[in-house]
Amino acid sequence: MPEKKERYQNRIELLQGTLDLLILQTLQWGPQHGYGISVAIRNRSGEILQVDTGSLYPALHRLEKQKWIKPEWKVSENKQRAKYYQLTAAGKKQLSRERSKWSQLSDAMAGVLNPGQM
Amino acid sequence: MIFWRRKTREAELDEELRSHLSMDAQTRIERGADRKEAERAARREFGNVGLVKEVTRDEWGRRWLGDLLDDARYGLRMLGKTPGFTAVAMLTLALGIGSNTAVFSLIDALLLRSLAVPAPGELVQIFFGPPGTKDPLSGPMFDRLRERQSAFTDLLAWMNAPMVLTEKGGARPITGAYATGSAFPALKLKARLGRLLSWHDDQPGSGSNEIAAVISEAFWLDHFGGDPGVLGQPITVDGGVATIVGVMPSSFNGITVDYAPQVVLPFAFDVALHGESSCRFRATCTWFHTMGRLKPGVSFAQAQANLATIAGDVLKDSLPSNYQRVDYLRNGMLWLTPGRTGNSPLGEIYGRELWTLQALVGLLMIICCANLASLELSRTLDRQHELVVRSALGAGRLRLVRQLVAESAILTFSGAAAGIVLSQWISALLVSYIEQSDFPVFLDLRPNAATFAVTIAIATLTVILTGVLPALHLTRVHTEEMLRSGAQRTVARKRHPLAASLLPVQVALSLLLASLALLFAISTGKLLHVDPGFRVKGITLFAVDFERRPEKGEARLDLYRTMLAALRHAPGVEAASMIAARPLGEGGMDESAGPVEGNGPETKHLFENVVGPEYFATAGTKVLAGREFSEFDRFGRTPVCILNQAAASFFFPRQSALGKHVRSTEPNTARDTCEVVAVVADAKYLSLREPAPPTIYYSYEQLPNFEWIGFITRSHDTSAAVAAFKNGLRRVAPDTPLLPPITMQRQLEDSIGKERLTAALSLFFGGLGLLLTSIGLYGLQNQRVARRTAEIGLRIALGAQPKDMLWFILREAAVVFAIGVPIGLALIFAASHFIGVELYQISPRDPRIYCAAVMTLLSAGFLASSIPARRATNVDPMVALRYE
Repeated sequence: MPEKKERYQNRIELLQGTLDLLILQTLQWGPQHGYGISVAIRNRSGEILQVDTGSLYPALHRLEKQKWIKPEWKVSENKQRAKYYQLTAAGKKQLSRERSKWSQLSDAMAGVLNPGQM
Repeated sequence: MIFWRRKTREAELDEELRSHLSMDAQTRIERGADRKEAERAARREFGNVGLVKEVTRDEWGRRWLGDLLDDARYGLRMLGKTPGFTAVAMLTLALGIGSNTAVFSLIDALLLRSLAVPAPGELVQIFFGPPGTKDPLSGPMFDRLRERQSAFTDLLAWMNAPMVLTEKGGARPITGAYATGSAFPALKLKARLGRLLSWHDDQPGSGSNEIAAVISEAFWLDHFGGDPGVLGQPITVDGGVATIVGVMPSSFNGITVDYAPQVVLPFAFDVALHGESSCRFRATCTWFHTMGRLKPGVSFAQAQANLATIAGDVLKDSLPSNYQRVDYLRNGMLWLTPGRTGNSPLGEIYGRELWTLQALVGLLMIICCANLASLELSRTLDRQHELVVRSALGAGRLRLVRQLVAESAILTFSGAAAGIVLSQWISALLVSYIEQSDFPVFLDLRPNAATFAVTIAIATLTVILTGVLPALHLTRVHTEEMLRSGAQRTVARKRHPLAASLLPVQVALSLLLASLALLFAISTGKLLHVDPGFRVKGITLFAVDFERRPEKGEARLDLYRTMLAALRHAPGVEAASMIAARPLGEGGMDESAGPVEGNGPETKHLFENVVGPEYFATAGTKVLAGREFSEFDRFGRTPVCILNQAAASFFFPRQSALGKHVRSTEPNTARDTCEVVAVVADAKYLSLREPAPPTIYYSYEQLPNFEWIGFITRSHDTSAAVAAFKNGLRRVAPDTPLLPPITMQRQLEDSIGKERLTAALSLFFGGLGLLLTSIGLYGLQNQRVARRTAEIGLRIALGAQPKDMLWFILREAAVVFAIGVPIGLALIFAASHFIGVELYQISPRDPRIYCAAVMTLLSAGFLASSIPARRATNVDPMVALRYE
């Protein structure tokens, strides 16, 4: 059992920045609940990014605490109460910051990995 | 608030995750999966719900508080489930922490606490004599020093003096002090009410102006009912009248830590009473306890250097020209010590013993911790299954550790609270040992920041030792292995190395404590039974203060004679006489003297005492040759003296001292030479420890104006003697204050207060250590038997004999002792170096002590292990194996 827990913790650390960006990006298209977010990320990434619940929910609660997203209880399409998250103004700013940071990072990575093409 | 919010959040999280699961399942059903199958798949995909909750909750922050409350609540429940363990642990902790707090609060009060004045670190004390001696200065010395010094903003002098307060209702003793006018300004002390003394109040010989007095807050509250109208009221002390001008703050109790003056007067008061003969002006009246406040920027070393340059001149100008100790004059003996804590005579006397005791209770605390840690370990081992289940349900390791630590924290801190309460009693007990009966000790032992800090530090350390370490060990659990194997196993797992190493440590420390206790106890027992050279039983000593009687000279002598006659004729009093320096009392008299006849050694330092007629018969000291002093050895007749055997054989070796003459070399003595009329047996003088010193006795009747004399009675019953004294005093000198009498037994016990203190407490702590170790051993063996019941059953079923099983269990105790005893012996050997000086007539390396301690420990250990061992031999193989 301890090994399993360690796995979760590794994931959180590995994905921390990236997962936050993915969540914020997903919420830009409208309020969504946890399950919806995980499905959206999975679908949009062509089934490559599988978000662990053990990473997703801590991340959601963390973003909520930082007031980048705010929760709202709504009834879902199939008549079930669910906690929807919505991007706040601060969250939108954070998203653009994260995006530019990410593009810098990916440019830099590309430059290092493919030196000839720059 | 946090509570219900937390509850709501918890419920919300629960719902959030449940909705996730059901939505996932719903999706799968829509894709055509069977409902059950879909739910199972959703759950599988989701993972461990408990763990997801746990890591999500981590993000909430503030979580530790809620968790802590959970932990505390759960901890309390678990402790409530094992009341036996909880009671033993609480008691252990209360005793351990209580003892530590008590001893420390005494050390704090006597040695560590600063005077309650601003910037106490700037204060220094100034003494007269070679470094190490702590003699105060004289008035003239103080004045000359104050004129010349340049290192201090000011100097102050303070003299504690018991006083007599006279009121309408009668006279009663109070604690008083004289202070120079500079004292309160130099201490920078502010008044609680009114004002404090200043230089204007202390102009010696300023005439018949009203003299100011300040009183302590306690005295103000007790005696004047806290009435602000006390300012301006007259107060009659020692026959003089002063006016109360202010009340000192309650935190300030003079500059001596164990003496709290109720009234502080300027020295001018003493001058007004005694004129030129006041102690203020006498060069030999060295009672001026002097302190100084360092100028800003002047270091202690610079002040010492400044003092060294002026000391010679100061002493030359202030000591009489015929001063004996020329070496003091030549070397300019004035020296400094830090004055932050004030003056602490009791601290000087008991410092070493108190630190010894602190070391002992520290050891005891380690034993307590070791004991609790192993109890905790064994208790938690029994709970291992629970831990495994909780870990499987998603509890992180840190969470489990915290749970276990929370339990020990609850235990420890409630134990510490009980300990603080207990420490008040232990402190009172300690003080009663320290207290000399003729001198009330004032000590402020209320718990303060320092003692609380120490208690909390000890408690925290205890939590770490008894909670954190075992918890870290125990939570290294192999879940699956444990779950699979279940609770019972035929062959038990090896015990924890931590638990295994704790017991030998306990054994070693208990051995150390037990040996020290034996050493101190035997040493003190020897002291108590040493023959002091006088009777102890039935002897009562009375101090008397006729100073304020109008009778002087021969009339004063008559007063004493009448009083003595009254005592002798009182019912129940077998004999009575007079004595100046009480045997084993605080102060003694000494002089140098030499024989007149013969060509023996010239002079010798002698102890001196002044006694009345038939003193030796009263005190029970044998007269070896010659006669006692009688009523006829009066002033004007041949001066006579009596030598003890040590003095006689020194001055007049191999011959009779009777009829020989002894000459005193002290200046200004009327008794230049005296005829030896008797030789008496040696009697202890100042200390039971030291052999009786050479002593010379003078007859009281031949010393005119000798004031320091008291009465001694022998009676079957102390109360009869006390009643006789009271009656006599009422008849002979009605307005004389009654000073508390003291029995010789008490005097003797007081004189070895330190030894008795160390012995009594080390016995107590030693016993406690032994008890704790036995409990630890018992607990461990008990648990071992319980854990290995199946194995024992199997062995018995296979034909093992009861004695084999006994050995099987005792073997472990034997190993513990085999490791612990040598370590303990090595520790004692190392400690013996430090305690040797505290012992009387017993070597700290006496092998008999070691043997006794080891035997005691072994029998306690055997007793503790034999109960579980007996249980092992009674194991029914059928019952034991059925569980498997």
